[in-house]
Formats: sequence, C-alpha cells, structure tokens
Amino acid sequence: MKNKILNIKSLSKSYGAFKVTDEITIDLHFDEIHALIGPNGAGKSTLIKQIVGSVKHDIGSIILDQEDITDLTDIERAKIGISRTFQVSSIIPQFSAIDNIILSLLDKSNKTFQLFKSVKNNKELYLNAKKILKEIELLEKSDVSASDLSHGDRRKLEVGLALAMDPKVFLFDEPMAGLDESGTNMMINLFKKIKSNSPILLIEHDMDAVFALADRVSVINYGKIVATGTVDEIRQNELVRDVYLGYEI
Amino acid sequence: MIIEKFLNKWILFFLLLIPILGFVLEEPYYITLTTKVIILGIAGIGLNLALGYCGLISFGHAAFFGLGGYVTGILSFHALNSELMFSWPFTASGSSNMLVIWPIVIITSALLSFIIGVLSLRTTGVYFIMITLAFAQMLYFFAISWPNYGGEDGLSIYMRNSFPMVNTMDPITFYMICLFWLLLAVFISAKLINSSFGMAFQAIKQNEERVKSVGIETFKVKLLVFIISGTITGLAGSLYTDLNRFISPSVLNWQMSGEIMVFVILGGIARLYGPLVGAAFFIVLEQTLGGYTENWQFWLGLILILEILYVRSGILSLFEKKLKYEK
Repeated sequence: MKNKILNIKSLSKSYGAFKVTDEITIDLHFDEIHALIGPNGAGKSTLIKQIVGSVKHDIGSIILDQEDITDLTDIERAKIGISRTFQVSSIIPQFSAIDNIILSLLDKSNKTFQLFKSVKNNKELYLNAKKILKEIELLEKSDVSASDLSHGDRRKLEVGLALAMDPKVFLFDEPMAGLDESGTNMMINLFKKIKSNSPILLIEHDMDAVFALADRVSVINYGKIVATGTVDEIRQNELVRDVYLGYEI
Repeated sequence: MIIEKFLNKWILFFLLLIPILGFVLEEPYYITLTTKVIILGIAGIGLNLALGYCGLISFGHAAFFGLGGYVTGILSFHALNSELMFSWPFTASGSSNMLVIWPIVIITSALLSFIIGVLSLRTTGVYFIMITLAFAQMLYFFAISWPNYGGEDGLSIYMRNSFPMVNTMDPITFYMICLFWLLLAVFISAKLINSSFGMAFQAIKQNEERVKSVGIETFKVKLLVFIISGTITGLAGSLYTDLNRFISPSVLNWQMSGEIMVFVILGGIARLYGPLVGAAFFIVLEQTLGGYTENWQFWLGLILILEILYVRSGILSLFEKKLKYEK
C-alpha cells in the first residue's frame, strides 16, 4: 500500500444493463508509468472520467496518496492533485498557447480570484508558463492562438496544461494520438522525465510508445481488467494477444 | 485590439463633447437624451460582463435594473413625504441624497444578484435563460401588485435626488454624474477582463469542462461575475429613476431584459464600449424612426437580423473594418 500513490478498488459504472466498467481494481505506484490498453469501447476513457470525477461511479473506491477521494467533486480532485488530458483536445481556443498554460497555473498559485491586478504584469506566472512551453516544445508558438495550432501542437498543449498543475498523478488519455514521429519521441522523453515526480496512468493505442514507456501494462476488455503485468508478461499473454494485440507482436 | 482602443478614445471624446455642444447650442434635450444613452449603456456594460465575457445568457437583468430603480424611488418617496420606511426591527427613513442612495442600491442589487445567481447558476443553457427570466417576471408582478408604491401606475418622485454642492436638476450636471458612473463601469470591466479572474471567466465561456479540470471553482467564478454584473445594472436603474423622476413596473418587464441584451448585441458582444454604442444606436432609431411610425421596432428587428447574419461582432466591428481598410 505504501508504494501506491493511486489505488482504485472495484470501480463500476453501468448505463442501464450495460456495464462500462466492471469492478475495476488498478493501482499506480510511485515513479512508474502504468499503461492501460484495450480495444475501442473497452471502458478506458470512462475509467479516467470516473477517476477524475466527471462521471459518477456506482460502486468502488478511489484512494489518492492514502486519502479517500471517492466522494470528492471533480474540481476538488483536480485541486488535490489529479491532472488529466482529454481524448479529444480540450483547450481554450481563443486563448494563446501561453494563456492556456497560465490558466492552468492560476489555482495552484492562488490567483484565480485576483480581481483587479493585470495578469499580463505577473512575471512569475509568465516565467513558469514559458518553462512549460519549452518542455513541450511550443515556446516559439507561445503567442499563437490555440485554435490556430496544428493537431499535434494541440496535443502537446494538452499535456502542457496537465504539467502546469504540478499534480500528484497524471492521467493521460491518448496523448500521442495524431503526433508525428518527432512529437511522439518528445512525449516519450518528457514522460520518462516527469514520472519520478508524478506517476502516469497512460491510455495509448500506439503500442511502440506503450512498450517503450510502460513499467506495467493493464489490459481492459468489456469493462474488465483481463491482465496486468510487465511489458514482457503482457506480450506473452495468450488472452491479451487474443483480445487486443494479435499474434504479430 | 489597437483599433478598438482607438475607437474607444473617439467615443470618450464624443461623450465629453456632448455637454459643451448642448450648452453652446442651448439644446438641453440632446443632453438628456445622451444621458439616457449613457445610463442604458451602463446597464448593458453590466450585462456584457456576464453575457459577453462569461457566456451567461441572462434574460433577467431587468430585475437588477428595476430593483435599483425602485430602491431609489422608494427612498426618495419617503424622504420627500417625511415618512418612515419602516419602524421594525429598527426605524429607517428615506433619503434623497445620492451619496446615501447609491450604496444602498449597490448592496441590494448585489444581494439580489447573489440570490438569483446561487439558484440559477446551477443550471445551464436554456434553463438558465428561463430561470433568470422567471425571477425578473416575479419581481415585475410583485411591483404591479404593490399599491403602496404606485402599483401598475408607477411611482413619481417629483424632485431629482440631490448631490452635495451641485444642482442635479441641471442637465449638464446630471450628465456628468452619469458619465462618471459610465467611466467607472468601463474601468472596472476593463480591470476585471485583464485580470487573472477575467482570464478564468473568459475561459469558462469557451470551455467550462477544461477550466474545471485545472482546479478552478467555476461556480464561484460565475457567481461573482453575475453579482458584479447585476450590481452595475442595478446602479444604472438608480440613475434611470433620477433621470425620469419616475419608476414603473415596466422596467422590470422581460422586454427591458431584452432591450439590455439588444444593446449588447448591437454594439458588439464582449466589447468594452459595445453596449454604449448599442444603446446609442437604439435611441437614435427610436428618435428617428419613432417619428414616422409607432412600430419602429419592426425596423430594429430587421437590423438585428441583418447584423446577426452578416456582422456578428456588432456595430463597432464595422468601424474597425473601415479603419483597417483605410490604413
């Protein structure tokens, strides 16, 4: 228990007779990347939504850093250290890239309710935002409106928004979808670097990236975890090959 | 943005020119008319904060405008009649001093905004529109059925409320008082928009789910915007009562909410001076077309349709385009 930062027990969610997540038990250790893979519609994104609190679960519990957060709202969970990216880029389209990052820094720096002080004059916020933009290789596009960024840059910005919160855990939902090779490599290096501060629960369809990054992999199918293990264990698992990976791996 | 700032300076210059022109040409009517524009513009600036910048489509801002108006009217009515307003749990008399009336208007408007906001901001979209409308209509029918303050006929206060050392009955003096409030409303709006709080509420308009996911308490942010918005509109209602020396339930009606919304849309949503320009355009239409036909709003409707279809960013954007072209 001590080496677990996030511990999810028997989390279930049904829509009528359809069980989207079925008694899912999964954990995230300090200093690790735990990948969650599975076919489309298996319940991966719904699980993320239940962990962040935007979808209410029916039964189960969520422990973050030995604190039961099961009954907290989505905003409370974000405040105490759960940071996420969305499957489909969710940014503030009319804000510049740097303003998107600054928005993400506001709560942590207790600046949300600063009513009359110009945000443009806050050098500390800008400095921190620029550091993050540099990490995600978007510094040169800091003043570009988010709506004008390419798909790949928006994915990077998504990750930047999560980084800015300096959370206890990251929940990344397909952060590399649509990225080119250099973008994917940048993400892989970034994730390897940040996991020691904040471990990552990663949903990703790019198996090369998953196998390059993950310390452990869980496979979800029809809302159930069907296997958990190291990359090698998962590669060799007959059931996983059958439901998801195929026999070419 | 630079062009908008340039336009704003011209608007300010024009506003300062009006009293001089009125004095030279000896036309106090035009000063009074511009005073009305300014007051309605302040009401619109209030709504613009909620609607334009935060995406809260309130169809009940007449409630704040009317409340500000009635608080002013009632305080003044009791002062002029030398009657107590109430004697339990403490005694309170009326006042005809603007410096007493304004703080009371600000407090009551903020309180009403808080009550309506707390209940209505739990909803979104069409439900939010309907619940704000319902609150305003409740107040409208309450005012109609309250005979002590004129009921359906409204309440006359005969004398404009006073301000130390100046004659508020003088059109230019009252114009300058209203101009002061307009500039203060614009200043507050500009400060808010450029602050980190402003960043939060402008982001909520675009993507509330994302704002929640970064730990910002969106309900509190929206509530505070709604309170500031309602308070500014309430203050405009107070000035409106002083301008007309009369208040009636019609200012609480849904039509008033619609008109304030029209000022915002005509001038340009999420533009600092947009509501003022919208109110000016509205009054000019009323004064010119109203001379030809009682049903001048038909033409207003036509203009609104054309604007929404072809110039969504309001009248100010037309000037912007022209200036850009000339440059």
